[in-house]
Amino acid sequence: MATTTATITLSSSDLTSNALSLSNTMTLTQAGNDTGILNTSGLVRTRLAAANQVDLIASGAGQNYGTVTADKSAKVYIRNTGTSTSQAVRIGIGNASTGTATTAQSSAAATYWELGRLYGGEWMLIPWIATDNTSDITAFPTTSAEVYIEWMVFFE
Amino acid sequence: MATTTASLTLSSSDLLSDALSLSSTNTLYKAGTTTGLDQTTGLSRVYLDATTNVDIFPPIVEGNIPGENKNAKVYIANLSTTATEYVTITLCSQVIGRLYAGDWMFMPWSMQEDTHSDNKHGDIELTPSVDTGMTVEFMCIHEAIEYPAAV
Repeated sequence: MATTTATITLSSSDLTSNALSLSNTMTLTQAGNDTGILNTSGLVRTRLAAANQVDLIASGAGQNYGTVTADKSAKVYIRNTGTSTSQAVRIGIGNASTGTATTAQSSAAATYWELGRLYGGEWMLIPWIATDNTSDITAFPTTSAEVYIEWMVFFE
Repeated sequence: MATTTASLTLSSSDLLSDALSLSSTNTLYKAGTTTGLDQTTGLSRVYLDATTNVDIFPPIVEGNIPGENKNAKVYIANLSTTATEYVTITLCSQVIGRLYAGDWMFMPWSMQEDTHSDNKHGDIELTPSVDTGMTVEFMCIHEAIEYPAAV
């Protein structure tokens, strides 16, 4: 069994009048038990150089690292490796596999939603439901300037 | 200006034949600037004993949403110690994933409003898998958030 841990530390001496010093470590386990997650996509580095929405991490079968089982335990790490504080990459999730940026903002039929924006140097770590075709994780740079995204999936 | 940093360490000596030792640290800035995020909901701790989905931050209401498409970071942790218990995290009606016992997540949040009749909006919701009681912690660090008018 593999043991993989993820530790977050949030700290600030001046965000509030009481210093913030939060640290939490989790072991990445399979759904419903204490067995460690055994599979990973590896750390992938992707170059983006257009202000278009693309599938960064597709759900469903056919991925070169295997199939992430839906409704189980999976984690996704994403980092904007750039240094720009003005260019962001909009990270979304949903049914966007066609590359069409149909958002729930404008269509009742759409299931795609923007989670948030990663500016240069920012990272995120989220659980992933990985439902086929409706849980694609998308990236949409706000400008066409070259940016490199690193991502990694951990799954059972 | 406040200075808040978020650090991540991912490590494993046996997931791969090459040890995993990944670290990432960044300062939390307002969108498009080098000015630090200066507001927070604070770290909330709640005990949930129903399998009802709940909004964990002020729900987004139509109109001028102060935090929409700006920079905000969300931290959520499931403090349960029972391996089978999880909370499902949803944005609008879109499931993101499940946080099992001991799991945490950290992500940006755009707080987007939708413009069609469903009025789902980009609220972050949490649904416990059991009604026997689970403790969850969550916090948002942001530059603006919507507080609905009192009724």
